[in-house]
Amino acid sequence: MADEIDNTSDDPREKAPLVTGGLDYAGVTDTVCNIAERKTTLAWKIAFLIAISWLGILGACIGYLMTTGVGVWGNNQPASWGFPIVNFVFWVGIGHAGTLISAILFLFRQNWRTGINRFAEAMTIFAVICAAMFPGIHVGRPWLAYWLFPLPNQMTMWPQFRSPLLWDVFAVGTYGTVSFLFWYVGMVPDLATLRDRSTSKIKQIAYGIFALGWTGSNRHWHRFERAYLLLAALATPLVLSVHSVVSFDFATSQLPGWHTTVFPPYFVAGAVYGGFAMVLVLAIPARELFGLKDLITQRHIDNMCKIMLATGLIVVYAYADEFFTAWYSVNHYERFAFMNRVWGPYWWGWFTMTFCNAIAPQFLWFPKLRRKLWVVFTIAVLANVGMWFERFEIIVTSLTRDFLPSSWWMFKPTIIDLLMLAGSFGLFFTLFLLFCRFLPVVAMAEVKTVMPHSHAHPEEPGHRRDEHRSDYWPDEHRPDTDDDDSGYDPIAPQAVPAPA
Amino acid sequence: MPSINHHVTGIEYWRSLEQLADAPEVLDALDKEFPGYEADTIASSSRRGFLKLMGASLALAGIGLTGCRRWPEEHLAPYSSNPRGRIPGVPEQYATMWELGGVASGLLVTSYDGRPIKIEGNPTHPSSWTVKGKIGSADGFAQASLLEMYDPQRSAKVVARTKTGEKRDSTWKAFESFASKHFGEQKADGSGFAILSESSSSLSVADQKKRLLAAFPKAQWFEYEPLTRDGERDGAKTAFGRPVRPVLHLDKAAIVVTLDADLLSTHPAHVRYAADWSARRRSADPSGEKPGEMSRVYVAECGFSITGSVADERLPIDPSRIYPVAKSLAARLGVTGVTSDEHLSEMEEKWVASAAADLKQAGSAGVVAVGPAAPPHAHALGYAMNQAIGAVGNTVMLVEEQEADRPSHFQAIADLAGQITSGKITTLLIIGGNPAYDAPADLAFAKAIESVPVTVRLGLYEDETSAVCKWHLPRAHYLESWGDARSWDGTAGIVQPLILPLYGGKSAIEILAIFSGESETAGEQIVRRTWKPLLKGDDFDLEFRRVLEAGVLEGSEFPAAKVEPRAVSYPAAEPRRPGLYIRFEPDAHTYDGRFANNGWLQETPDPLTKLLWENAANFSKKDADALGVTTDDVVSISVNGATLPVAVYVLVGQPVGVIGLSLGYGRTVSGNIGNDLGFNTYLLRTSNAPYSILAAEVRKTSESHELVMTQNHHLIDSVGAAGRDKRIGEKYESGKIIHEASFAAYKANPGAALGGRTVGLQLFDPPNQFNSPHAWGMTIDLNTCIGCNACAVACQAENNIPIVGKQQCRKHREMNWIRIDRYFKGAPDDPRPEVIYQPMACQHCENAPCEQVCPVGATMHDSEGLNTMVYNRCIGTRYCSNNCPYKVRRFNYFDYHSQDPRHTGMPWNNLPDNQQMETVDKIKRMVFNPEVTVRMRGVMEKCTYCVQRIHRTATAKRAEGKDVEDGDIITACQQACPTQAIVFGNLNDADAEVTKLQKNPRAYAVLDATLDTRPRTRYLAKIRNPAATETAKEA
Repeated sequence: MADEIDNTSDDPREKAPLVTGGLDYAGVTDTVCNIAERKTTLAWKIAFLIAISWLGILGACIGYLMTTGVGVWGNNQPASWGFPIVNFVFWVGIGHAGTLISAILFLFRQNWRTGINRFAEAMTIFAVICAAMFPGIHVGRPWLAYWLFPLPNQMTMWPQFRSPLLWDVFAVGTYGTVSFLFWYVGMVPDLATLRDRSTSKIKQIAYGIFALGWTGSNRHWHRFERAYLLLAALATPLVLSVHSVVSFDFATSQLPGWHTTVFPPYFVAGAVYGGFAMVLVLAIPARELFGLKDLITQRHIDNMCKIMLATGLIVVYAYADEFFTAWYSVNHYERFAFMNRVWGPYWWGWFTMTFCNAIAPQFLWFPKLRRKLWVVFTIAVLANVGMWFERFEIIVTSLTRDFLPSSWWMFKPTIIDLLMLAGSFGLFFTLFLLFCRFLPVVAMAEVKTVMPHSHAHPEEPGHRRDEHRSDYWPDEHRPDTDDDDSGYDPIAPQAVPAPA
Repeated sequence: MPSINHHVTGIEYWRSLEQLADAPEVLDALDKEFPGYEADTIASSSRRGFLKLMGASLALAGIGLTGCRRWPEEHLAPYSSNPRGRIPGVPEQYATMWELGGVASGLLVTSYDGRPIKIEGNPTHPSSWTVKGKIGSADGFAQASLLEMYDPQRSAKVVARTKTGEKRDSTWKAFESFASKHFGEQKADGSGFAILSESSSSLSVADQKKRLLAAFPKAQWFEYEPLTRDGERDGAKTAFGRPVRPVLHLDKAAIVVTLDADLLSTHPAHVRYAADWSARRRSADPSGEKPGEMSRVYVAECGFSITGSVADERLPIDPSRIYPVAKSLAARLGVTGVTSDEHLSEMEEKWVASAAADLKQAGSAGVVAVGPAAPPHAHALGYAMNQAIGAVGNTVMLVEEQEADRPSHFQAIADLAGQITSGKITTLLIIGGNPAYDAPADLAFAKAIESVPVTVRLGLYEDETSAVCKWHLPRAHYLESWGDARSWDGTAGIVQPLILPLYGGKSAIEILAIFSGESETAGEQIVRRTWKPLLKGDDFDLEFRRVLEAGVLEGSEFPAAKVEPRAVSYPAAEPRRPGLYIRFEPDAHTYDGRFANNGWLQETPDPLTKLLWENAANFSKKDADALGVTTDDVVSISVNGATLPVAVYVLVGQPVGVIGLSLGYGRTVSGNIGNDLGFNTYLLRTSNAPYSILAAEVRKTSESHELVMTQNHHLIDSVGAAGRDKRIGEKYESGKIIHEASFAAYKANPGAALGGRTVGLQLFDPPNQFNSPHAWGMTIDLNTCIGCNACAVACQAENNIPIVGKQQCRKHREMNWIRIDRYFKGAPDDPRPEVIYQPMACQHCENAPCEQVCPVGATMHDSEGLNTMVYNRCIGTRYCSNNCPYKVRRFNYFDYHSQDPRHTGMPWNNLPDNQQMETVDKIKRMVFNPEVTVRMRGVMEKCTYCVQRIHRTATAKRAEGKDVEDGDIITACQQACPTQAIVFGNLNDADAEVTKLQKNPRAYAVLDATLDTRPRTRYLAKIRNPAATETAKEA
């Protein structure tokens, strides 16, 4: 790492570069496009083989489940929900960071987001796919899961709108749709770049179809920016709503340990925490493998660590708050739920969770440790483990010991439970590897806007104009250079040339 | 297309002249009226036209798409001549009798289109009524015998074994020709011919026996039951010189003292006794039958029985202490010839002193009962005590025993084994029973049977005994055959068939008729012949039919025995020897092993241990700790040279020094359900010590065996224990799951039952809702519930509840809609823990947490307060179960009905939406109640308050223009409950029993104060009536 430039300084007098290595516009384009254009590497092939094998196992497990019954899982009488719902909440949480990065940070003008937003969004979409799969196959009669949708029918049978599970359907469905649109719309200029650089007919056609005829005209850029802005505004409340609604599954029930009003913010914070951890888990190896060190710099990682730390602290606060509330309520069922979580038969889950979510991220207070990538990577992995155990603890400890002691019973996962959890990672990584192989993993167009070149005056050295290239941000949008990191302000009214 | 009408064949009908004329405007009009159909196709009645239309209809109806078919294929088989009175689809009830261990009880069997689907107690038979003339109760065994009848693995063929032991299928004809030849060859006097029969109270069997012994004067008749009450007979012989039978009247008993007698559960008359006992428990209430005269029950016992678990004063002792305790008690009651020279422990002393004082005070309203395992002198003391306090004639009736001169069962089987070994027996007929499995181990009876040249076995199953017999004959189930039987008090009734033998079996009386070469071998004629002299009146047919209809012959109970007590010299008690006693007990699932293949019973948890599908060695905490073992550890028990490895179950309250071993497991030839389950404790049982024996050695082994149970309370971590205690725990605290009070406190202040607290001011008054036109509700009286499981089996039979198998039970996926929660109170090593049973089924909350979380609205409230399940709308998210604070919802994780419960867990390829009718065994499905949906995999289910019963009755009443009256609708659990602990009814009716009970000061709703669920089921707090000294201390 010695060769890496430390751009993590927060000295307000200096502008920290977000693209290092002296890359210019063409350099950015070449770096990113090369990943999709070069020959398939051996590392990718091995990774893909492993991922798709697990996906195959997942498929086999689902087939077995369909033909046999949901009893292949370890769910039982008090614990009617087990691994599938734990996994569902876990994956929805992972799916949080991407849209947060691309929408909320966009609105807050956090320009460092440009280096990571593309694959963070991709991660979101793939995580939502993994998440949405679980409730679908979790129901007793999966072939009727479509009854959850409000489909008009001759019997005028409607879903029951008081059920939080139904809210989930809408929340996750909307979130998935908007996230996908946001991701795709943002990718259109980059797809056009890939199309233009394609050497084979097939690639030209394939990228061409998805590039939607992008030419880079002013009108295109104008429409694109407005659409992007609108989608960001649309996606922003969804980031907060989706996990809030997922938390309602628990918060609106009467089960001690679930019945907690702090759940919506607690879940959102936890999701952001876990989501950023997952972005780091993906970004740290990816920048090595794909040579993206100049685009995903130390500063990016540093910023993500800070967000993890902040949200991690909110999560710790929520944990503490739950215990306080249980104690303060003088409700012995509530108090028991939390005593049982710590000292009951699933104590190991609680300690794992607490270590991973409350203790491990504290190392991120130290800038030196934040710069050690293996430390960051380890903490990020632990955060994901911790977040999975958090959901396990919430769901399993509360269900296995509720009101009547006669129905208390332990939950034990079966081999199918474990294979399906691993298989969902197979699905996730299969999709992610395909994305890395064929799509622009970094938002080239957006990165270019945060490069010093785009804000430079024409007479400044290093500025290059190439009007025949479609892959750079138009000069007319030159922002106020006094702005922080890079200065481009997509929200401020722009000087737009009048249509011809 | 040319009109097909031009080729009309057959009779031609026409609607108008225009149509007849086939006018085009008519065809146009037809086309408008039936769009999409060719007018000429519709109008045609030609064969070709018809076939065309049919072809299209069938294709549209999905015959070509059978994979999507979700309804069973139906075949119409109309009667060519309808049986008289039979209306298809209308269930009918028939009275019959059922025998277990030689004592019968009255039953009422519901038959639906010729197949029996439900067994209940006969409300007119004294052995089974709980509300005379209205409700009859049958125990779990009796109810589950229905499943036995439909068991596809019941014996269906005559089987003959060649000399080499090779098995081949044979026929009745072959057997009959063999029999006539063989018995023709036999010496006419029948020497060398022995009959080993199970115990029977049947009049016809007795008659047939007489005829057989007349035909073969030298033949010998032996009777054997592994669980016998011969101890009582021997005791009576000691006391009176001849056996008499004590019949108790617990409804008259203010003080009940039992010495190892489980009156409420394993006694043959336990339904009657439990019903009578409950009357005196309800007397705790000011509204009870005898207000303020609640009984007090003293139980000294060597195991932990149901009676012990509901006793007010329980004394756990080892078997050697029963006699000294009895003797001390008798001495204090002033029984002549008894001196109180026995040394008692402090606990015994206290119990005896208190019981003696109470019995003296109660006088003739007291009763002493002694159990079958007690030594004869203890029985003699029991009779003497009842005489001394004047109970005989009031609470105890001594009646004549049947066959007073027969030897005891263990003597009989030992005698037979001896004769076989000495080669005196050449032909052995075994009727019922299963001696090769359950005879005392020292007799090596299976080997003995094999050595007899000709052995014939009549049995329901091809079991261990059939395997060593030359001939096996399939026996007809009692629901398939004619017979008769007597209950404990002697009241006789007729056993009538509900269905023709499914597997071509014959009954015992028919077989005996064949053996004795009678001309009459038809069961019905034999029974009629037996009953001819019994029935008075001119018209025998009419009288006979009256008995058939009522199921009982009034006034046929045994006559009172005129006996005079003899002077008995009571020996001093033997000192207790060191070591652990083994005590053999009947099993809650299999009785003596005979119900091993009955899935309903296997999956009904043992009342106290909650074990399923197997047995274990019950250890007290102290003994287990001393041995260094705990539940699931395997110990090896040696006695008389036999060694048995058996899993330990630490049972709180088990007497110290006693290992409880239940009989009836470890079957090897019983069928798919019952084979290789549990531990065969018969291997340790010998004919000289059949009830209890001192173990030679009990050794810890390194093995362990994971026992399966529905509730685990022991071995809980300290956090869990603290949480549990907060929930059930401290006495007299409100907001708890269990409420109880002592009788003294309750009498002084009825509010004490609920801890003196009431629910305070509420922000929102519960709205008066879900009450149109009726408001269904239920009460469950914890004071009278004895945890006997009759309700659970009734519910299983009524509601088509599947069994899930041992593996699925281990995962805790049982399907019982009503479960009986059992809680202990006291420390784990407390010798006298208190027990409480709480039946738990859907509470039908008005503010139901399950309803608001279902995303598809599959569980909803109806206008009468029922929380309903819409099975075909349910997609199985299981959210409702999570949100149910009572955890009474049950989920079909697999297609339980269609799979084999013993190869369970992972049944392959039951394709989605394949309805059960396709996959369930054709015979097994006959047991289904057609009024209740058979649930498929992936749907949730739960108690419905027997909605089918509600609507059947309410609809019929509405058709008559009447409203439902109290008592018209009885749920299955209520019906089965021997103590009337469960009462169901209409809360809108101010005079209904349930309405009154819900206003009882003991009534409370579980968790309502915590969660505002507003359940329609209310519980009535338990009232204990401990001895006065203890109450004084508490106060």
